[in-house]
Amino acid sequence: MMGGPRGMLEQETSKPRSTGQTVRRLAGYFKPYWLVLIGVLALMILNAWTQVLTPELTGQSVDCYLTPALTSQAASAANAALGDAAQPAGQPIQASAQLAAPAAAGRCWFGEVPAGSAPSDYIAGLGRLVLGLLAVFVIGAATGGLMFYMMGWAGQHVLRKLQTDVFDHLHELSLGYYGRHESGDLMSRITNDTSTIQQAIGFTLVQVLSGGLIVVWIAWTMLSINWVYGLLSLLVVPLMAIVTVWFSTRARREFRRTRKEIGNVNAELEESISGVREAQAFAREDANIQSFRQSNAANRDANVRAVAYTAALAPALEALGYVAIAIVAGVGGVLMLQGQTLGGTVVTLGLIITFIGFVQRFNQPIAQIAVMWANIQSAIAGAERIFDLLDEPLDIAERFDAKPMPSIQGHVVFRHVTAEYKKGEPVLKDIELEAQPGQTIAIVGPTGAGKTTMVNLLPRFYDVTGGSVEIDGIDVRNVTLASLRTQIGVVLQDTFLFSDTVMNNIRYGRPDADDEEVVAAAKLARADGFIAKLKDGYDTVLGERGAGLSQGQRQLLAIARAAIADPQLLILDEATSSVDTRTERQIQAALDQLLAGRTSFVIAHRLSTIRNADQVLVLVKGEIVERGTHEELLAREGFYYDLYMSQFKRQEQVLQVSSQASSVARPNGAGPLAAQPA
Amino acid sequence: MTQNVRGGAPAGKRERPSFKTLGRAVGYLGHYRNITILAYAALLLSTSAQLMVPQMVQNILDAITHGLVAQQLAGAPADAQVAAAAKVGMSPEQFQQTLANPYTALYWALGLILMFAVIRGLFAFAQSYMSEKAGQGVAFDFRNELFAKIQRLSFSYHDRNRTGQLMVRATDDVEKVRLFIGQGLLMAVQALVLLTGALIMLLLTNVQLTLVVLPILPLAVVMFMGFGMITQPLFIKVQVKLSALNTVLQENLAGIKVIKAFATEPREQKRFDNSAEVLMRQQIQVQLIFSFLFPVIFLIANLGQAAVLYFGGQQIINSTLTIGEWQKFSLYLLLVFFPLGQLGFIITQMSQAAASANRVYEILDAPNEVTDKPGATPLPEIKGAVQFENVSFRYFGSSEPVLNGVSFAAHPGQTLAILGATGSGKSSVINLIPRFYDVTGGKVLVDGHDVRDVTLDSLRRQIGIVLQETNLFTGSIRDNIAFGRPDASDEEVVAAAKSAAAHDFIESFPDGYETPVGERGATLSGGQKQRIAIARALLLNPRILILDDSTSSVDVQTEVVIQQALDRLMAGRTSFVIAQRISTVLSADNIIVLDKGRVAAQGTHLELMESSEIYAEIYRSQLVEDPVAAAEEDAQAEPVR
Repeated sequence: MMGGPRGMLEQETSKPRSTGQTVRRLAGYFKPYWLVLIGVLALMILNAWTQVLTPELTGQSVDCYLTPALTSQAASAANAALGDAAQPAGQPIQASAQLAAPAAAGRCWFGEVPAGSAPSDYIAGLGRLVLGLLAVFVIGAATGGLMFYMMGWAGQHVLRKLQTDVFDHLHELSLGYYGRHESGDLMSRITNDTSTIQQAIGFTLVQVLSGGLIVVWIAWTMLSINWVYGLLSLLVVPLMAIVTVWFSTRARREFRRTRKEIGNVNAELEESISGVREAQAFAREDANIQSFRQSNAANRDANVRAVAYTAALAPALEALGYVAIAIVAGVGGVLMLQGQTLGGTVVTLGLIITFIGFVQRFNQPIAQIAVMWANIQSAIAGAERIFDLLDEPLDIAERFDAKPMPSIQGHVVFRHVTAEYKKGEPVLKDIELEAQPGQTIAIVGPTGAGKTTMVNLLPRFYDVTGGSVEIDGIDVRNVTLASLRTQIGVVLQDTFLFSDTVMNNIRYGRPDADDEEVVAAAKLARADGFIAKLKDGYDTVLGERGAGLSQGQRQLLAIARAAIADPQLLILDEATSSVDTRTERQIQAALDQLLAGRTSFVIAHRLSTIRNADQVLVLVKGEIVERGTHEELLAREGFYYDLYMSQFKRQEQVLQVSSQASSVARPNGAGPLAAQPA
Repeated sequence: MTQNVRGGAPAGKRERPSFKTLGRAVGYLGHYRNITILAYAALLLSTSAQLMVPQMVQNILDAITHGLVAQQLAGAPADAQVAAAAKVGMSPEQFQQTLANPYTALYWALGLILMFAVIRGLFAFAQSYMSEKAGQGVAFDFRNELFAKIQRLSFSYHDRNRTGQLMVRATDDVEKVRLFIGQGLLMAVQALVLLTGALIMLLLTNVQLTLVVLPILPLAVVMFMGFGMITQPLFIKVQVKLSALNTVLQENLAGIKVIKAFATEPREQKRFDNSAEVLMRQQIQVQLIFSFLFPVIFLIANLGQAAVLYFGGQQIINSTLTIGEWQKFSLYLLLVFFPLGQLGFIITQMSQAAASANRVYEILDAPNEVTDKPGATPLPEIKGAVQFENVSFRYFGSSEPVLNGVSFAAHPGQTLAILGATGSGKSSVINLIPRFYDVTGGKVLVDGHDVRDVTLDSLRRQIGIVLQETNLFTGSIRDNIAFGRPDASDEEVVAAAKSAAAHDFIESFPDGYETPVGERGATLSGGQKQRIAIARALLLNPRILILDDSTSSVDVQTEVVIQQALDRLMAGRTSFVIAQRISTVLSADNIIVLDKGRVAAQGTHLELMESSEIYAEIYRSQLVEDPVAAAEEDAQAEPVR
């Protein structure tokens, strides 16, 4: 009711590209609710009708009952005075033609009262009219409430459909899509867009439509009662529209600036809160406070500028509303006093009061329409973005005749595989590879060599651009995605944990696993040790993104999750980051056990993994430059040798010193390939 | 007003906010006294003008009716004229005037209504603009104070409070307080003035009619109060359900790989579907109340109008009321209902603002544990001697000490390695030197000065720190290196970057040292950030250096480079290192082995290898880096089934 339009002015708005198409498509979502919409429309018309009726009835009360009663009394009072003066010849004074009923003839829906009736007759007529008016009020309230509720109901259902459509579609998009889009961006886009749409298709749309209907209906009524008087009374309407559009456009522009400024304020705030330790360590507090003061002041000033426009809008409209009243009353009054007709009809006091009622009903809808229009537009733009997302082509789709993958034995072949994310920029070039069931394939190479891409081809997170990937002789593109992926275990470097219990996080690998199986998997993964130390053991609810657990512990959980799925084919992305020695050993032991007997592809960072691998592939810029076992590759003194030596040298120095120092040391080999400091 | 507040308080059901802090917040308007006074003066004027408009409408209508009656009676004898005129409420003088010129009164009334329209427009603008301006000023002050306070609050405060929480207070809570001070308070005052004024005008116009509509007012008040009580918890429910839905969405976006890998899409879709369904039902419930709220409120207001029409009409017919007065009355009635509605909203807003003000003051009133003591003197240029004398320390609110009777000394230029298991108190030791926390017992001395006797600024400026987790700040790379000494010359910055092995990669960027560093240094890799942090510490050329020599998430080559840079950084300075590397330990002048907050052993590597079991154990577990051997050991220790 109040502050509404202003609140809307502060919102972010955007313009749609192809309004018609988007609106049609959005309208399609309303199809199941067409009956409801028709109901809303009917209610809206009924509601507008009550709005038009109220001033009309008020006017009638004046013209049909109040003025006639008054004039007849004034006349009889005057006549009585004449009578008292004993002048029988005097003419009785007639009720004025203009003040009295004839003008209102035909417009007294609750019955005319003949001139000269007793006051009680007029009061009875008035009572009938007031009862009618009460009925109109009740109908108005009922239709108003019902139309908002029904529209809201339909809108919520549409929104829900839209949400689930988007969500389901998100699952169908390939990882390639997620590589190109930040998940945080996607998240805020989806939530923001759906909430703008929600606002628009419920409350706002009804408000704008019924407001528009009321304005048009009232204008039409006024013009049809008396077109000249109506036209004069409507003079301020275009002014109101111009004022609203002018102020709200400017307010919006200024508020856009404030969003930038408040963004700066928030960024600075966030940065200095999260970096408060550094700030204090480097004694930067005063400098930071000074700099914050500046962006804070810039934000304040931008807001004050924007507020100037919103603060002006409502008073300007209110003042124009008073001007409208003055015009109606002034023009009507002069006409009445001059006894002239205008546009063919006589102006009565009731008509003036009716018109005052009409112009008072203009203010709100006009302001609302102007202010809300931009929000409807930006909801359409939001819908457009949502539809864009829904229209995002699926680069990984099941073939129509896809069959379930039979139980995997673990024989994997890459045939002349090439892969590219962007045309002409291959990430993998002509990869040839064969893994026998049970073998461990270690993939090493610098960052960006294509290691992750290679393993992602197996569960078909991406598709090859050339060649094929076959498991047990079946091209992965010929089987259903679910049957393929449930049979492949994946342990990722950055383990994602759900905000759920430890138990359920492990069970994620196989939803029908019972508690004993989960515990067994955790034991295999060496995770039960730290789980037992958690507050509620297996029932501990992990925080957002598994906060509260160390990197190493999270990886142990991922291993347990893969272990419970018990896949024949395993993909493992070893963590590069440092974990303490004890956890490191536990991870190693867990992995050894997990890998045993399964075909596994490992993006390797640990020397032990590489040493134990049946094949080591050295991947550089999308090509396999060397392959063989650890020993074979060392003997070749090529790329792998260099990679190994750069680490080995350092290790050797340490070992020399420490073996001099103490016999406790056991210099029996190099450390892990990537540093794993304790 | 206080009465109203008490009545409306249940609206803020979650916590019964104390309005004392809100009062304190409103006191900030004192910083903007002139603007505030102007705003409220404008309010009085604009509200008065608004109150005059219905009177003017009456004047117009009366002018018309009088004029007409006068015209009608023009031909009648004088006695009859007077009698008839009296019947419509005109004195004989008025009648004569009206008869002479029926338009004068009408034009006057029209002129006045236009004048009041202009006055109302101008001052209504002035009141809300001034008030908003003052509100923005108050928000500005609050944010500055919060920022300064947060910047200076000690580490132990930040240990207990999350960034997100503090953020919300400095943004959302300040906004809510601002909204109340800038708009709500003004609206409340305006509503009260308008309500009182309109009620007085109603009574002055017609007591009898006022008494007829008066019973409707409490009904409206009850409606508004009830609305606040019903909707507040419903909104909270919607929020809870919305965030549940968003959690599912967010987890699915962030964990999409896991979901795809385990092919659990159908399960997730069902989960989302359920959440969406629950949210929709809740939304529809809110919709129900909201849809009918306004219609019902308007209905009540309209009941008042209908009553006025019927009972006022009777009076008109009985000639105790004029049509003009009746119109005026019904317009004033609107001015009674309108502020009532406003007050209902403001009360809700007010209890929210009070809760927010409480949260804001929680920060502003938080005691700061580490501050300059009165009469603290600046620390003279540091030579580099550091001594811990029987230091004990425990974290705020914790009963168990982290450090217990820790004593050691470092001579200028020495390197001290600190070793120990997780939780043995390593970080606490290094955090006490720049006085990020205060000791609970004993003393920390730098060059013989107790760190609590010198100013924080002079102490910290002379200590360089490289932490494991590197925070960079928005700005150029140059700004980040010069973080501790913004006045450093370009040559100095480049020299520091070179020593930190950062120069080459910085130069490889198109913008070199002017390359902007994104929020939290997002555009740089972990290794690059770490090297910038090293350069940042080097530029201070500190006599005392504190560092955590673990490197995380970097590839092998980068790690070697970083460790070389760290070695250069330590040369010739008193250095405290939380040691992760064997080479550090080997080259340290003194090694402190911590065990459960006590110094278990100290000495050089060779000494300790001879004398300390714990050290030998730690040393061995670091040295035994071949995971195969480690796994074998593990297997022996606890056989796997």
